[in-house]
Amino acid sequence: MNRRVLLVGLAITIPAIILFVVSLGRDPHKVRSPLVGRVAPDFTLLEAGSGAVVRLSSLRGKPVVLNFWATWCVPCFAEHGVLTEASRQLGPNVQFLGVVYDDKEEKILQFLKENGSAYPTLNDGGGKTAIAYGVYGVPETFFIDPSGKIVAKYEGPLTPQLLDSNLQKAAGRS
Amino acid sequence: MTATLGRFLVDLSLLVATSGAMVGFAAGFRPSASGARLARRFAYAFSALMTAANLVMFYALLTHDFSVSYVAQVGSRSLPTWVTIASLWSSLEGSILFWGLVMSIYIFVATFATRRDHPEYMPFAIGVWLACAAFFAFLIAGPAQPFLTIASPLADGPGPNPLLQNHILMAVHPPFLYLGFVGMTIPFGLACAALLTGRLGHAFLRPLRTWLLLPWTFLTVAIMLGGWWSYEVLGWGGYWAWDPVENASFLPWLTATAALHSAIVMERKGTLKGWTVTLVLSTFLLTIFGTFLTRSGVFNSVHSFTQSSIGPTILVFLAIALVFSVVLLATRIDRLTAEGEITAGASRETVFLANNLLFVVFTFTVLIGTVFPLVVEATKGTQMSVGRPYFDKMAVPIGLALLFLMGVGPALPWGRATGEQMRRSLLPPAIGGALAAAIGWATGVRHGWTLLTLAFGGYTLWITVREIWLPVRQRMRARGEGVGEAIVASQIHRGRRRLAAYIVHAAAVIVIVSIAVSSTMGKVSEVRLNQGQTTKIGGYELKFIGAEERNEPHRISTAARFEVRREGKLVRVMEPAMNLYQGQREPIGTPDVMTTLTHDLYLSVMSIDAAAQVVGLHSMVNPMVGWIWIAVGFMGLGGLMALIPSRRRPVTDRDDLMTELRPIESAPVTSLVEEGG
Repeated sequence: MNRRVLLVGLAITIPAIILFVVSLGRDPHKVRSPLVGRVAPDFTLLEAGSGAVVRLSSLRGKPVVLNFWATWCVPCFAEHGVLTEASRQLGPNVQFLGVVYDDKEEKILQFLKENGSAYPTLNDGGGKTAIAYGVYGVPETFFIDPSGKIVAKYEGPLTPQLLDSNLQKAAGRS
Repeated sequence: MTATLGRFLVDLSLLVATSGAMVGFAAGFRPSASGARLARRFAYAFSALMTAANLVMFYALLTHDFSVSYVAQVGSRSLPTWVTIASLWSSLEGSILFWGLVMSIYIFVATFATRRDHPEYMPFAIGVWLACAAFFAFLIAGPAQPFLTIASPLADGPGPNPLLQNHILMAVHPPFLYLGFVGMTIPFGLACAALLTGRLGHAFLRPLRTWLLLPWTFLTVAIMLGGWWSYEVLGWGGYWAWDPVENASFLPWLTATAALHSAIVMERKGTLKGWTVTLVLSTFLLTIFGTFLTRSGVFNSVHSFTQSSIGPTILVFLAIALVFSVVLLATRIDRLTAEGEITAGASRETVFLANNLLFVVFTFTVLIGTVFPLVVEATKGTQMSVGRPYFDKMAVPIGLALLFLMGVGPALPWGRATGEQMRRSLLPPAIGGALAAAIGWATGVRHGWTLLTLAFGGYTLWITVREIWLPVRQRMRARGEGVGEAIVASQIHRGRRRLAAYIVHAAAVIVIVSIAVSSTMGKVSEVRLNQGQTTKIGGYELKFIGAEERNEPHRISTAARFEVRREGKLVRVMEPAMNLYQGQREPIGTPDVMTTLTHDLYLSVMSIDAAAQVVGLHSMVNPMVGWIWIAVGFMGLGGLMALIPSRRRPVTDRDDLMTELRPIESAPVTSLVEEGG
């Protein structure tokens, strides 16, 4: 038994194994947003179709679910049903907002006609709002509490369970 | 039905590999001719079953049998046949199955080729191979099962990841990579066998080197093909990004290259046995580490498969392999006694030692840069990534030192060089270095590191060519032969391995120089053009003729057409495109590359609007890139050439036994020698 080889070998391998075990749950797609815990960047956007002006800061007082999506995004399609259903159930207690990123007005309206809509859908032409929120892929959803602070962010399509648990945070009941 | 058959074959191969591993180890510890024969039969049976399972999957893919889960996941009726075949390795489950195929081929060939040789080592080696095979069969049978039955299959499937459908290289790069990665299992088994028997004689060095050189050759070519694919497909104009998974393929290459060199010292001097074995074990462990990185979802890259459940399983295997290797080394390394020693002083062997140290430092540098983000996240919870600057800063000086040693080593004799010898062999090549640097300066190279690379490259190339030429000249003088005759006699017939090594060296010089030149001397421009507008880059004038949308069965391709003029003359029409694949949300660019001997003109579309006839164009002139692909091709050819057995009398086991200091249990060994498979 060569003790030196054993010690050096184990000194390299054991920490490596521990490191890999710890890293195993890591999701490289999850980039922590520096916005969480801060006041949500304000924006004024026009609602697709009606052209009504929506300003985020005017919605303080109730939790806001801010969902970035696009009609060309396949996962958004599945998620749309979840959000629409939740918005109908929760009614005026929670404000849902859809922000469409990199898309065309006709396509958005067509999509909403086919798949239904229950809350305002805003057209982020030019993508300025998406940039302000650091969106790097759609869908991404920000949960904003009644005081206007971002409390959570989720990347990828929401399921009813995920939506519920994040909404609890936004309503201050986590 | 097909799925059931596939599952049955995989399960059976798992059973056979497990039993065979046990038989191999048993036959290794208590040598007997029948035990060794049985181990070989298990190896053949595993190979047959695993190959059959792969054939079943190919059949299912080609007949679009969507009741097989993997086909439902990656198959599509609209695909060209080559994509359908390549889709075997386009997704996680299939790629592990394909791993099994490559492994079964390697195990079959290695078992068959050694059936009459090295009876004291081979049962252990087969045992280790089959233990690794059992692990992969387990992965296929369980966590990465591709043969699940889908009760109500759909009529069509989505097809594989579009990035993998975009270029024919995708049909070539992964198989080469697997041939390189999986093949490292064979030298690993042989090295383990050497440790388990506690002997590493001259005769056994041959198969160890051969079986290391074969996957090394594949890995070399695979890394190049990956770079080429990235260059031709991804559209950013580069070929290497120090992506964690690129690093994962580079790490075992570094240790394998080091091992190939230390094996030469071992052959000549009878030393560095434990060291060489350690490098071979590390190479294998790094391939498994690389597999863990790609398959566990720990890193995000173009190579990573979606988050999968096989990460933990691979990690368990990696942990077992690591601990097994360390313990095996610690308990047995002292038995691999050296028969000679390396004396201090300027000699070829000391240069080899320096080369080995540099390769190991290089390995650790890349390894640390690769896992550092994991360390930071695990300890501090913050996310970070290690970018190009770190790797470039570290790799450039190490690479340069290696380039220099690649010249110095062959110029020095074995043993000890006298001052006079050193002056005679090391000084004249400086002319080559000065010449290369001067040519660089004359053609506009001002970047310090690049000039230094050119100088070292010229120096090393001078020596390499001289070393190829010297034996030819000697023969011409001594025997009065003509040039052609002397080359054939001295290089092809007798010194083939030596010539092969120098071909690889010369090619490596060209690769390193080309990388230095292409990464520091390129020109880039990004412009937005309306129809009919022109832009200029590096002596070319590009005119945007128009954009055109084409509907193909599996994608919509929007191509921008450019007329490329040089000095007013039309050189070529180029069509970089943007492709939108069925069922995918983001379009994927396809650059168009015009390769010439001195440079590439690289056009890639950033954005395109066929309706408005506007294009955002990213254009580059990349010098010398084409040389990288050509030179790596020569590295591969050199590797293959070194593999061709020479006509010299093979070293027999008798030599082997005579060089060993440890007494041999001779009875079973001799009986095994006569048995002969």
